[in-house]
Amino acid sequence: MSTKNGGENRFPLETRNIRDHKCRLLADKFELKRIFHKAMSKDNSLPSEMRDEHRIELSKLPRNSSFTRIVNRCVFTGRARAVYKMFRMSRIVFRDLADKGALTGVKKSSW
Amino acid sequence: MLSCVMQCSRMSNFRLLLAEAALKGVAEARARIFGHVLNPTGLPSGNKILRKKLIGEKVAAWYPYDIKRDDPLVMAREEKARLSKLEMQKRRGKAAPKKGQGRRALKRNK
Repeated sequence: MSTKNGGENRFPLETRNIRDHKCRLLADKFELKRIFHKAMSKDNSLPSEMRDEHRIELSKLPRNSSFTRIVNRCVFTGRARAVYKMFRMSRIVFRDLADKGALTGVKKSSW
Repeated sequence: MLSCVMQCSRMSNFRLLLAEAALKGVAEARARIFGHVLNPTGLPSGNKILRKKLIGEKVAAWYPYDIKRDDPLVMAREEKARLSKLEMQKRRGKAAPKKGQGRRALKRNK
């Protein structure tokens, strides 16, 4: 899945970003398994032993493959707070680039 | 009189039955048309999790693709620059020490 959009060919520069990127690739890799085990462990129509098995399987998955471990980080600086999803950058970098006019469609205005 | 009442009750029973069947049929048809999963008991069935969209690919594509990495020439040049910088640092005695040769490791060994 990740090779389709070049997941391995994306090289973030910041240390935190590299870590986060690894998490993302793992999450992508184990997504189907995670969903399957989660759904099976939640299904009340199954016998409880089977549900327990799936719960154990779920706990055996690598921890970094969890989607909750992923943090949206600034692509340029690795900042974890005030990151705009649309531009994938922090407010500071965004303001810098927007002031320079490097972002298409972004214009400064006040009213 | 009594028979009439009984008939009435039977009629209403029959009507209730019909209404119930019709309602069930409607629910089934609705579920089929809209692709829902019928769960009359209301117990957890895991469907909520299964019907979510897969987001892994989108999540993995957060960091941008670097075209530089595709070009072996550019990469070779960068590698060369890195090595030459290391060489410079070594000549000036500013290069990073080997593992176990640093200040702290030496202190620990004493």
